[in-house]
Formats: sequence, C-alpha cells, structure tokens
Amino acid sequence: MENLTVSIIIPSHNRSSSLRRALDALHLQTYPIDLIEVIVVADSCIDNTLAMLQDYKARFKVQAIEENCRSAAIARNTGAASATGQLLLFLDDDIEALPPLVESHARVHSLRPGSAVMGPYPPKLHGGTTLFEVEVRSWWEEKFYQMSQPGHRFTYLDLLSGNLSLDAELFARLDGFDSAFGNCGGEDYEFGMRLLKANVPFVVAAEAVGYHYEHETNNLDRSFRRFRQEGRSNVLIGYRHPELRPILPIAAYETACSLVDKIVVAVTFFCPAAMDWLAVGLRQSLDVLESLRMRGTWRWLRAKLRAYWYLRGAIDELKSRSALSSFIQGEPAGADLGRHEIEIDLQEGWEAAERIIDEKKPDGIYLSYGELSVGHVTPKFGVEPLRGAHLRSILALDFAEPLARAIAVKGMPKSAAHSEPSLVDNTLLQNLQLFTVLEKKNLKTSS
Amino acid sequence: MATAIVELEISKLPPEITVEERYSKALVLIRLHGKPIGQALLSVVGGGIGGDELRETLMKAAGDNLWKNLLYETLEWDERGSVEVLPIATVAVCTRDRPEDLRRTLDALMQLPDEGQEYLVIDNCPSTDATKELVKNYPQARYVREDLPGSSAARNRALREAKHEFVAFTDDDAAPDPNWLRSLLRNFSDPRVMCVTGLVMPLELETEAQEWFERYSPHGRGFERRVVDGAHCNPLIVHLVGVSASMALRKSSIDYIGLFDEALGAGTPTVGGEDCELFARILRAGYCIVYEPRALSWHRHRRTWEELRKTLQGYGIGVYAFWTRMFVINREFSVPLLAWGWLWYKQIPELIASLRKQPDAVPRDLLWAQLRGCISGPMAYFASRKLLQKMKGSNE
Repeated sequence: MENLTVSIIIPSHNRSSSLRRALDALHLQTYPIDLIEVIVVADSCIDNTLAMLQDYKARFKVQAIEENCRSAAIARNTGAASATGQLLLFLDDDIEALPPLVESHARVHSLRPGSAVMGPYPPKLHGGTTLFEVEVRSWWEEKFYQMSQPGHRFTYLDLLSGNLSLDAELFARLDGFDSAFGNCGGEDYEFGMRLLKANVPFVVAAEAVGYHYEHETNNLDRSFRRFRQEGRSNVLIGYRHPELRPILPIAAYETACSLVDKIVVAVTFFCPAAMDWLAVGLRQSLDVLESLRMRGTWRWLRAKLRAYWYLRGAIDELKSRSALSSFIQGEPAGADLGRHEIEIDLQEGWEAAERIIDEKKPDGIYLSYGELSVGHVTPKFGVEPLRGAHLRSILALDFAEPLARAIAVKGMPKSAAHSEPSLVDNTLLQNLQLFTVLEKKNLKTSS
Repeated sequence: MATAIVELEISKLPPEITVEERYSKALVLIRLHGKPIGQALLSVVGGGIGGDELRETLMKAAGDNLWKNLLYETLEWDERGSVEVLPIATVAVCTRDRPEDLRRTLDALMQLPDEGQEYLVIDNCPSTDATKELVKNYPQARYVREDLPGSSAARNRALREAKHEFVAFTDDDAAPDPNWLRSLLRNFSDPRVMCVTGLVMPLELETEAQEWFERYSPHGRGFERRVVDGAHCNPLIVHLVGVSASMALRKSSIDYIGLFDEALGAGTPTVGGEDCELFARILRAGYCIVYEPRALSWHRHRRTWEELRKTLQGYGIGVYAFWTRMFVINREFSVPLLAWGWLWYKQIPELIASLRKQPDAVPRDLLWAQLRGCISGPMAYFASRKLLQKMKGSNE
C-alpha cells in the first residue's frame, strides 16, 4: 500500500496556546512524519499566533498563511488552495489529536477511496456538572456514538468539519466550502449536502480520535450567538438547496402551535429590539434557575431562548414575515419527483433484501412480505441513499408490528430458516402460533 | 403459604409443571431462548399447573416482549448497538460475616463462562476468619480485607483493587445467572454509559416476610431495558434505576464522579442509600445508567419478619440520608419536594389503606418501621459522617 501525502489544514483565530497544543499533538502521530505537512491559516489574529508560529520548531513542514476574512469557510479554502498533499485533513485548533489520528484517516481512505472521512472529537472529559456543560458534552458524545454505529444513515448534519479528511482532488472538484457563509458558520452542513448529492459516502474512522477542548471557549452566551448564526446559515442553506426547506427548523415558526409562541413570533417581527431585551433578561434568569437546581425549567427556558435566537438569525437574513412565509412555501414543485424507489419482498430473506438495497441504492422502499404489505420507507432529502446495513434497524424500529404479524401469517423468511436450523426447527411452529396469538390480540383491540 | 420459584423456557414449555405440596402459588420467570422476558404469579391447585391455561397465562404475562424479542432475534438485531468484543471485567463481592450466603454466591459465579474475568471478595470488617477460610476453596477468587466498616468502603476498596476497567458488583446474598456478566458488559459500548444495573429476582419465597418484601419493595425493575439519561432526566429520581446488588461500573468514571460516599451504606448508621447517591451523581454529571433485564441475578430476601421490618426501616433511613446529603452537600433544593411527593402519594395512602384494613394493604408495622426510618435518616447521615471522620482520624 502506497502511503498518501497528507495536508493538515488548521484554521485559527486568536487561540495561540490552543493552536500550540494542537501542533504539539501532531508530533506524536504514528503516521510517517515526512508525509505530513501542516497549513495554519491565521484568520484575523491580533494575539501572538503569528509570532508563535514563526518560532515554532516542527519536524514536519509548517506553512503559516495570514488571512483577514473572519470566516472558517474561507480560511479552510485558502488552506486547501495552497496544500500539496493528496489528502486534505481539516482539523480545528482546539483539538488535540491522539497519535493514530492521521494514520486512521489515511487507512480508511485507502480502503474506501473517494469518501469523506470523519474522526470523533469528543469533548475532553472533565467533571463539570453545570447544566450547560452537561448538555454540550452529552450532545457531542451521543453524536459520535450514533455516527459510529454500522446501521447509521448519514445526513447532511453529520458532516462535521473539525476532524474531516477527503481527497484534495474531490475537494477542488466540489469547489470547497461556500464562502458566502462568511462568519455565520453552517458551511460544513452545506458542504455535506453537496457531498451527498455527489454520492460521496460518509465514513467514520473510529480510531481517528482527537480530544476537543471546547469547554475552554464555549459558554451559554456564546451558544446563543451561535444559534443566531445557525438561523442565518439555515436560510442560506435553504436558498442553495430548496428541497431542504420543509425540514429546516425555520419551518416550525410558520406553524407555531401555542398562543404564546405565536405572539412571540409576531412581536419578534414587529419589534425585535424589545424581544432581544426580554431574551437577555431571561438569559440572566437561567443562572438563577441553575443555582436553584431547577433543571426542568432551565431546560425548557433554554430551549425557548435557543429557538428565539435561531429565529432572530433567520430574520437577520430574511428581514420580514412575508419573506419567511415565501421562503418556506417557495419550495419548487416537483421536488418529490424523480426519487428512486423500489419494492422489496422481505420473505425472500433479510440478506437478499440487503443485497438488493446495496445494489440499487434507493431513496425509498415499498416493503412487502409475500403478498402482504409491511410499510413504506419514505424518501427523504438531505440523507444518504439507503444501504443494506440500514435495513434491520429500520425494520426493528419502524415496522416491528406489521412485520411480526406478516411473519405470523406467512412463516419465517427464507434465509433465516436456512442459517439457524436447530433453533428454528424446534421452535418455528411454536413461534408461529405465538405470532398468531399476537395477531388475534391486535385484531381484538383494533375492532 | 409459600410461593414456589419456577423458571420456564417459553419456546419449550413442558405439558405440566409440578411444585411441592407446601406451595400454593408459583412465581414463574419466563425466558425466551434464555433471555428473561417476563414473570407471572400463578396459583397452584393440587401441586401442578399445565396445558393451554399455563401457555396462555405466560404469553399474556410476557406481552409485547415476546414477539418483539422473537422478531429481533430473527432479524439478528440488537438495540444495544453493534457487537464488539466484550471487555474483560472484575467481579467483586462485598461481604460481612455471611459465609453461608457467600458460598452460594461464589458457586454461582464459578458458573459464569470464563472470559478472563477477575474475582474479588472484599471482606468488610469481619469478626471471624470464616470468610477467609471459605474463599480458600475458590482459587480463582482473590481475598481482600477492608477494615473500615460499610458497604461503600468495601466497594471503594474493590474499585481500587480491580485490575480491569469494568467492575461488576454482586451482593453476598445474591446468585447471578451464568449470562449475568456478559449481559451487563454488553451495554458499555456507548461511552456515555457509566453504570449498568440488572434484574434481580427472588431466590426463594418461603416465608411471609419474603413474600411481602417481594410484593412491597421488589429488587426487580421490570423486563424492559431502559436507558436513564442524565442529560434529560431529574437525577434525583433514581428508584427506577436499579439496585446495587447487581450492577457494573466503568471504573474511569470515578475520576470525575468520585467514589461511593462512605458515610452511606450498610454497615454505617445510615444503613443504605449509597447506591442511590452514586446513581444520582452519575446522572447529575450528564451520563447514562442502563437497566438491563437480561442481566439476571437471584436474591435471597430476609427470612424473618423482624429482619424484614429492619430492612424496610433501613430503606427509609437510607433514602432520607441520601436526600440529606444531596440537600446539604450538593445543594439540590428540590429534595423536600421529592420527600413530600413520596409522603403524599405513597406513604399516606398506604397507611390509610392499612389502617382501614383493606385487603392487600401493607401490614402496619412495616409502614411504621419505614416511617421511623425516614425520620431518623437525616440525623443518621450526620452521625455517620462524624463517626467516619473519627475512624479515619484514629487510623492515621
């Protein structure tokens, strides 16, 4: 196997000590160090980042580029433009890579060329028990755990650019990150959407772990600012990919259910300054709730404030209520057409069904069992096409009851009986009776 | 009137089950291909039950669990995520002067498939050498003596002595099923899971005291696997989580959650509450605890009425001591609300039912014992802390 040359691109903004830690960690990589080059894009730095980089003694090639864009998207593109490696590895400056990180990325690329490979970067463990810390940490850990499950179906929201690698050629072909996102973030999700449209598979390299020192810079106030940015960036994503509009959280504001929510939305459009003032006041009460350990109320208020700042972000882009409505309803007709759907008879066995799905890569499936209908896996936007590996969790979680009933009537699927004869032979008959019992019970309750 | 304990494999039901004459009822643990999926309490007429009636009762008792498990088996799908190599674990038994019970526990542990696990027996403040002598018969088990009294001190010692990252605890009056350890460990693939608790069934229901214990405060928490997620729940509501008589911990969690509170637990003035307190701390830090009914263990409940009363009183003390700690040290100001909820929605109605002599009401002396325990709980916690300081001071 020929080893790939890797360009590690680190955008950084006024975090010289954390950048130094990230660079130090790269010295301990198990990957041949002469194949690694590091490109630091110092974006609008007014601290000692550039001086630190000048003095930094590295055993790999370090290239420092100065930028004045205040945008991670542009910084990453700039870094990629001057990279010489076959592989681009985007790493955040607050991530401390574990020694096998680069090697794992490279290995996955040699096994599955042309994919977008992500490594987990869970928060550096710390014993913080403030409600905010708990929320953030559990979100990240849950995210990486779910993404590393073999049956996980990736969506555009899984494209995280903190520890991401892909072919330099592929990145150039897709024109990199969208620089129009400026400083509002969200360019990684948009890029994820384009990767999915280009049929680039997402892969998690479970060993490419880096520790994320997010707690050093993140806090509640910053998170609210981020939600506002997210509102803005979601509008931009909606402009670029109109089919996503119905599933963006913005859509929820048109259909705000409770009266209070409706009033809040209306007043926000009418007089945002007053609502901002109120939101800032309520933000202070979060601290009071926390000191009283009123978790339920804290979580409720936090969710409300979060939704508020998100809406404010959307308004920053859209300006008016009518613009919001037309944004949501402006989804082009016929987006549903042209989705690739197939029919699968599950009675032929799970393995056979998985093979067909892997072959055809459909967006949706009509599931049947013999002549009985089991259900419809509806096509969705912003997710990868179905793979065989998704099938069993979809069946177990979404179609358990109709499937069990079908098995009760029609018997076991083909290959299952084949693979485990001893277990099935003895109990098959009985199992079927059990299922029939179940069916009777359900019929009774439904009638 | 004793209750027989019966285990039945639902895929291979016998035509009839028979129990000894002295039993009027049978508690049936229903398994599907070895996995516990439900239980049923049957009344036995003339020493036996069988036929369609048995089948139907059991199926009804297992409910949705039956077809769900069958379906998942057919699909070879598991809600616990992808199958990995199970980690190696340390199994720790904490004991104090109960060699007879301990023998049963160790015998049961020796039935676990050998996957390289380490066995630890922590002998807590023993008054005789009986335990030490007993453990000599089990060469796989390592004997460790801990002189600071209390189950928390013993468990902390086990955590310090354990060689492996995962430490499974069983009480000395419990007998784990051969699949117990595997089923517990299978849940740790999610890095947020810090603790897994298991299903505890009664080993015997020979006396009235044991039957009442199983009815009033069973150790089992049902046959549905549950993930209690500290990021979304109230960390003080831990009674549904499980019991420490059957649980496994991720050892590295103590780095940021801490050890058991040595002022709580059996062997100290607070008698209990140490498990609740650790569960609450895990949840407060935003981690998860899984209740895994596939990890089965059998617990011998106290046989005499006097012991039962003491157990329930101890339960009251333990809960209130745990709440006291949460209130005073962790500044959890919602504790009085919880105490009020327990009193208003459970204890008072139970007491009224009992005073009215309603059928199936809990005997009054048990309820009084528990209430007495609740009242003395807070003071017990402070007394226990003081005692602990004194003992630690005298050791140095």
